[in-house]
Amino acid sequence: MINILLRYTILFVLTLLALSALSFTLIYLFPAEPIINLTGITPQNSIQHDALVRQYRLDSAYLIQFWHYLEQLFSGNWGYSLISGQPLKEEVLTALPATVELSTYAMMIVILVGIPIGCYSGLRAYTNADFTINSLSVTVYSVPVFWLAVLFILTFSLQFGWLPLSGRLNLLFDIPSQTGFLFIDILLADDVDTSLAMRDAFLHLILPTLSIACISTAAIIRITRRSIIDVLNKPYITAAKARGLSNRQIFFRHVLRNALLPILPLMAMQITTLITNAMIVETLFSWPGIGNWLIQAIYQRDYSALRIGMLAVSTLVVIITISIDLFNRLIDPSREKFESVTI
Amino acid sequence: MSRFSLYEDEIRPSPWQHTWREFKSSHVALVGLAILLLFVFFAFFAPLVTPYDPLFQNTESILVAPSWHPNGSITHLFGTDALGRDLFSRIMYGCRVTFGTSLLVVIIAMAVGVSIGTIAGMLSGVRSSVVNHLLDALMAIPTLLIAIIIVGILGSGLVNSMWAITLALIPQFIHHTRTFVRAEMKKDYIQASTLDGANRLQIFYYSILPNMIEMLVVQGTLALSIAVIDISALGFLNLGAQPPLPELGAILAAGLDVGYLSPWNIAIPGIAIFLMVLSITVVGDGLRSALRKRVNR
Repeated sequence: MINILLRYTILFVLTLLALSALSFTLIYLFPAEPIINLTGITPQNSIQHDALVRQYRLDSAYLIQFWHYLEQLFSGNWGYSLISGQPLKEEVLTALPATVELSTYAMMIVILVGIPIGCYSGLRAYTNADFTINSLSVTVYSVPVFWLAVLFILTFSLQFGWLPLSGRLNLLFDIPSQTGFLFIDILLADDVDTSLAMRDAFLHLILPTLSIACISTAAIIRITRRSIIDVLNKPYITAAKARGLSNRQIFFRHVLRNALLPILPLMAMQITTLITNAMIVETLFSWPGIGNWLIQAIYQRDYSALRIGMLAVSTLVVIITISIDLFNRLIDPSREKFESVTI
Repeated sequence: MSRFSLYEDEIRPSPWQHTWREFKSSHVALVGLAILLLFVFFAFFAPLVTPYDPLFQNTESILVAPSWHPNGSITHLFGTDALGRDLFSRIMYGCRVTFGTSLLVVIIAMAVGVSIGTIAGMLSGVRSSVVNHLLDALMAIPTLLIAIIIVGILGSGLVNSMWAITLALIPQFIHHTRTFVRAEMKKDYIQASTLDGANRLQIFYYSILPNMIEMLVVQGTLALSIAVIDISALGFLNLGAQPPLPELGAILAAGLDVGYLSPWNIAIPGIAIFLMVLSITVVGDGLRSALRKRVNR
């Protein structure tokens, strides 16, 4: 147990070190001058330039520069945005929760819809119901996410006018950002009609969440179905039948638990897809999240923002992946470390 | 008969023929294969079959409706876009660009991924642990993020987006190859080759690779569908292929500007990407279940 925890901690630290080394290298790889990429401040004259270089130790050896860079990261001095001039830490910390919020709701839909349908389809394998579900999920899985989002906008926002087109909340509501998570912020805010604001936020949430969730749900349905079929073919299920257990008992005691175990690591991989899709969908719905922010940054060639944005997103993803991996290892110690399942 | 044969059958179908037999029995997979072959045809012969030059701007006929529309004409099968370019020709060239680059990207990623994965699978001890864990963690970084960074360093363009997607696909191939090689190395036939004095390269080339090809084909179709979606997504976000180049995602993004006037400019490129990914997925699925049936029999 302690051994496993220790291993994962070392892995975690090593990965973060590799990621921050990568973001440090970006200072020299991006086209602008290193000092601009690092600080986001354009020096006005050579005196200021030299002062900045000395302040950020860019005149010393690379290893010392990197060490200093890490110190700066930990002390919260992430530099400034080249375009807006705002401190990057504030910008990232307001944009990141919006994405996390969106992805969490999408992931909830994926799990709550995908796994039950996948189980049903797996239990009824090779029947008409299974065939219908399977072909539907293959179809939905193949729809490109940006096209789906555009279709949703065209149908539900422009044609019928049922749902709002962009943003997180109607501009009439003035909600101060405290945690960055909108629903909590609405609850915390004073002198706002809470139920109206909640309803508006919910309406804004529907389309982006659905367009992200559809594709991952289809993937999870397929994965779950395959896993259930594989478990049903195992000898211990036959043994359980021979012992006279009812179908319900077999499903809940034996099939479900064993089928869900190999799904977990694949779920971690789905999270990456989900976040990529969230980043694309955010730009279409003008959702003020990290994906939209990063893509605006690349359009404007805001190099210091790109460096920090890359570090923030990849750290988030790595934390999620490693903790799911760890969780999986802890609840299932018998498993071989890198066992993979098929769809 | 003087012929000496160990088997009673006259003809013994090879493993690939077995797979093809199983694959053929699924009609859906065959339809998928037909559509996929159509896209392959477009990819190779687009210049020969397109009625117009995809870049030719005919200002006389802007936003002509598709031929099945009451206002449309048969001269432009899918209508024209905001600059009067024939959409049908653009879609065909778009399939060429999108599908062709995806195929190239997958082949490069496969070659690199398999070589690194094999080395990682044959390694053992601390070295392998570090390599494997780091790779697994880096596999989690989203494609779009890698693409954004590469575009930041090199500038936008189709070739740069290809590099980004190759980089993003490699870890998956490494992962699967490593798992496979590690499982095979424990088996007896590898032990036998080792006792015969085969070195690691020979073991890989003569023993593991022939067994691995099927896994690679299945993984390749999976990676191909991801590559098509990613390349068109980058084109759509204006980070990949740049406007005059007919790339399906870029065509879709251009159609977005006139989407309310001429919905077919959004619908048709989207359907083309969708059909391409769908056919790849269906063929991949058919192949996978054919292989599963063959092995289980």
